[in-house]
Amino acid sequence: MKAYTQIPPGTQILIGRAAKRRRVLERAICSVFEGWSYEEIIPPIFDYYDVFIKGMGTGPEEQIYRFIDREGNILALRPEFTSLVAKTVATRLASAPRPIRLFYSGEVLRFEKPKGGRQREFAQIGIEHYGGAGKSSDLEILLIAVEVFQRLGVQAFQINLGSVDFFGGIVDRMELPAAQIGELKDVLNVKDQPGLEALLEKLPLGDRRKKILRAIPHWTGGRSVIEEARQLVRNPRSVEALDHLEHIYSVFERLDLAQHLTIDLGEIRGFDYYTGILFRAYVRNLGFEVAGGGRYDGLPSAFGEDLPAVGFSFSLDRLEQMVMPALSMPDVDAISIADNGFEQAVQLRRSGKAVKLCL
Amino acid sequence: MLSRANIRFPEDVAQSRKLIFDSDDKRFRAVLVKPADVPTYVEYGAADIGIAGRDVIMESRADLLQPLDLGFGYCKLVVAGSKETRAEARAYEQAGTSEPNVVAGFGPRSDSPTIRVATKYPRITLDYYNRRGIPVEIIALAGSIELAPLIGLADRIVDLVETGRTLKENGLEIVEVIAESSARLLVNRAGYQTKREEVLALLRTLEKVVQCESSI
Repeated sequence: MKAYTQIPPGTQILIGRAAKRRRVLERAICSVFEGWSYEEIIPPIFDYYDVFIKGMGTGPEEQIYRFIDREGNILALRPEFTSLVAKTVATRLASAPRPIRLFYSGEVLRFEKPKGGRQREFAQIGIEHYGGAGKSSDLEILLIAVEVFQRLGVQAFQINLGSVDFFGGIVDRMELPAAQIGELKDVLNVKDQPGLEALLEKLPLGDRRKKILRAIPHWTGGRSVIEEARQLVRNPRSVEALDHLEHIYSVFERLDLAQHLTIDLGEIRGFDYYTGILFRAYVRNLGFEVAGGGRYDGLPSAFGEDLPAVGFSFSLDRLEQMVMPALSMPDVDAISIADNGFEQAVQLRRSGKAVKLCL
Repeated sequence: MLSRANIRFPEDVAQSRKLIFDSDDKRFRAVLVKPADVPTYVEYGAADIGIAGRDVIMESRADLLQPLDLGFGYCKLVVAGSKETRAEARAYEQAGTSEPNVVAGFGPRSDSPTIRVATKYPRITLDYYNRRGIPVEIIALAGSIELAPLIGLADRIVDLVETGRTLKENGLEIVEVIAESSARLLVNRAGYQTKREEVLALLRTLEKVVQCESSI
């Protein structure tokens, strides 16, 4: 019978060194989070299906593992942590002092094609920051992400930072139907220039606006990108987004970290819930992103509490492909169980030594 | 095209059985893979950059950047059928497209409620018919797609057409164009960020080559 010998597609088993590496990385990252005064939250592995739909929007719903309990409620195995934490903050922690800083680490499940070292069950580790004043919490979490890479000894990492508001401010004024905004996002997301040209021919937009849309895929790089965008884009929402990105970039420069930060004004992918900055992090020679996050101010209000919110998560499965921490193995005393072997072993254990019984 | 961008490879690339080639100046390493595999190599970052037809990219659904049309390999992805294809099938398709109120499954074709389509592009084909609300049975074939409607395996085919000569010689005609295709440059998302200088330099060079060629 296959259930006894095969594993279901999308699962994996970590044994020995692989499991140890997972825990070593997990502990190193948690210690960074704790160093910035984040407290751990261990949410349930399942909750009501609607919690996740409210959080993630209606794109990825087919990826959610759902089931029905004995009372007929539709439940789901968590496909991510952010919605769960937002719900907890809006309910259990409604009267807790702000800001609220939480971190989590655990498995999530999505019914998707296993890709890039990520199975259908995979490990996420990340932080959530609620009720932070202004946008300074954006900087806080970005700097924490940087420290995670540094703590793991990863030198060649790149954080790709964009803003939903920059693009939002531009399309707000175009008064296009949602379907066409969707098409526009699709071509911009893959930097599909010929596709963009074909779309622009159909859209009833003036030359200046078309010029802006044509430029968006190219606005990726350092400070100069922000300058270039300022020349063309004047609406208040986008300008405010540019000011904010420039502020973040300046702080990175002062900390001598700017080489790790790319401003990417064409970065508009992701869950519907993002409302401000959003970013993805890459490591050289790994084809897939290892971390992602951003601002989602509307999310807690979906659960009844109006709070600014920002956070990110790292993919442990992907980090494990790039980071090979030294795994210290304790010195072991091998003991034969002949004679008084058990007594000897217990004595050694009491004095804190590692033992291995030869049975 | 690459040689015009000053990226030269040893003469024997076409004849050799090797699959990996270093450019003469050692700045680039090229791998030869089957066209349908190109998006996979690039999506996984095994190659930073790839060249493949838009049809192949659409079918693969790989998450990639595709910033440049390289200006060659133009063709169309079309729905085609034989002139003798049961008129009912055609009437049914038209009902499905022009009158969205027609309930799927109750079209005028009485003997079978589904259209059978042979193709090398099962995903694109399924999307195309799903969007129109037309029930479809897809027959995935590896080649000689034109044969399927001629001997009664399928009502329609979805295939790539360059000049349309093969279709004509087999008595098939285009029913609808699904998409235009040409060769695209693909870039891995992570590589675009972590090797930005190199990737952008190559992009700009190729962009110039494309512009020069199209202006000739």
